[in-house]
Amino acid sequence: MVTAINDDLFSPAVVNDPYTYFSQLRDEDPVHWNEKYELWVVSRYADLVWVTRHPEFFSSEWWKKDPRGPYPEIDESDLGLYQYVREFFSDWFIQHDRPEHTEMRMVVHSYFNPKAMELWRPIVQKAVKSLLDEAEERGSMDAMKDFAIPLPLLVIAQMMGMPNQDRAFIRELAEKLLFLGRGELNRMQPLTDGIKGLLEYLSPIVAERVKNPGEDLLSVLAIGEKKGIYTRDEVLANAVLLLLAGHETTINLICNGTLALIQHPDQLASFREDPTGRTVRATEECLRYDAPVRSIQRIASEDVELGGKMVRKDERLRWFISSANRDPEVFPNPETFDIARYPNPHVAFGSGIHHCLGSTLARLEGQEALRLLVERFPRLNLEVPARDLSYQPSITFRSLKSLPVSWN
Amino acid sequence: MPRKLKITVDTNVCVGNATCEIFAANTFALNEDRQSMVVNPDGDPEEKVLEAAENCPVSAITVADAETGETLFP
Ligand code: HEM
Ligand code: SF4
Repeated sequence: MVTAINDDLFSPAVVNDPYTYFSQLRDEDPVHWNEKYELWVVSRYADLVWVTRHPEFFSSEWWKKDPRGPYPEIDESDLGLYQYVREFFSDWFIQHDRPEHTEMRMVVHSYFNPKAMELWRPIVQKAVKSLLDEAEERGSMDAMKDFAIPLPLLVIAQMMGMPNQDRAFIRELAEKLLFLGRGELNRMQPLTDGIKGLLEYLSPIVAERVKNPGEDLLSVLAIGEKKGIYTRDEVLANAVLLLLAGHETTINLICNGTLALIQHPDQLASFREDPTGRTVRATEECLRYDAPVRSIQRIASEDVELGGKMVRKDERLRWFISSANRDPEVFPNPETFDIARYPNPHVAFGSGIHHCLGSTLARLEGQEALRLLVERFPRLNLEVPARDLSYQPSITFRSLKSLPVSWN
Repeated sequence: MPRKLKITVDTNVCVGNATCEIFAANTFALNEDRQSMVVNPDGDPEEKVLEAAENCPVSAITVADAETGETLFP
């Protein structure tokens, strides 16, 4: 019998345990029309890959093109703010199709290539060690606030050549942008405040880098303006994209990975036996098992059949990484956390032409954070009962509110 | 005569990002499943091919000297 499918993707049941919800959806209606939010929900691995590899049918320009209003609905008096937010996000290159996407991405693509990123490993190691030193002195930590957040923030701020003392301020503004994937009626206000604050902060720095470019990532964007590929507004918007994508996601890799290890003591023990040898596969398994990004959106460019359903032009669609990464068609024993899993073709970074630009950096940060954590603290415990842990009510990020741990 | 290259793409790793096609359009092409294929190992100058390999986000491409077998990337 087919049970009714709960279409409230923001309900605590779905937010806290997406895995039970999506395993039902994958079985019963893998390409599901979510009536409540007027949205196709794609849950199988094969369909996710097909969608991401056919950008000609599934456009990334949904902020610009969506003829429907925002979902969940927003306060009517905020429609002006919605317009502002929408125009801002439309400048992100993640929100562009070919040919503009290629041109815009290529400005920064080589900066992130695997060889270039490897040079950051010692910097990341040093930063992880100093965070662990501070934690060890205190005797316990909130792995979210004291470990997972500071590391990626430090790295991306350093890449962009931003002064160290600005980090707390940057984070405060970036947190407002996390309302992106949330459902609150009045979310357009914090989004607008976050955008305006970051633009105000970045404008003078960018103006300076256009005049005097250096080797940093902001300068790479600024050179894109000099070459006529970006307007100034686009430089600023894409600086915000890199800043946000560059830390929020990796935070969740570190935090969710730490939690998965604590909750699977046999896997933690096995990791501890050979941290250096096992870190790569362990990190990949963390990316699969409790993926930092839950889902990503597209909008259909024409009528197209998907999994036996007819998706009509201008209909929106979301593909769920949290679901595809647990698809039994691809992963044997998908609910098992196995740090030696291989092969592990998870889609935590998406797939196709928009495949994560920062994947090498994210992997590197995740590997060093998890490896050094396990080496430092042979015993790791949760400081609160697991049922007290809760997640931000977002359909984009799989983000714990806090993760108190100790090592006694 | 430029030396001959042996270029391989690990299709278990390739995510269809198409970067290789952008850097060396005469060498690589994505097939129907949007997996990269080497369509002509002599399609582009060696530096272009190496640049493509270096910029593949998942390091799916290897390049070697076809005669000596010497690895040129990674
Ligand atoms: C564990 C960490 C991360 C995860 C899980 C993640 C996930 C993703 C996913 C799923 C996409 C695909 C979006 C789409 O198809 O529309 C993406 C794209 C992107 N990511 Fe990441 N990301 C991570 C870290 C990073 C980092 C560290 C950076 C930058 C420093 C970054 C920058 C980007 C950018 C710029 C794009 C857009 C690429 C494009 O449109 O061509 N990400 N990421
Ligand atoms: S650049 Fe790498 S991942 Fe992208 S299509 Fe080419 S081989 Fe595949």
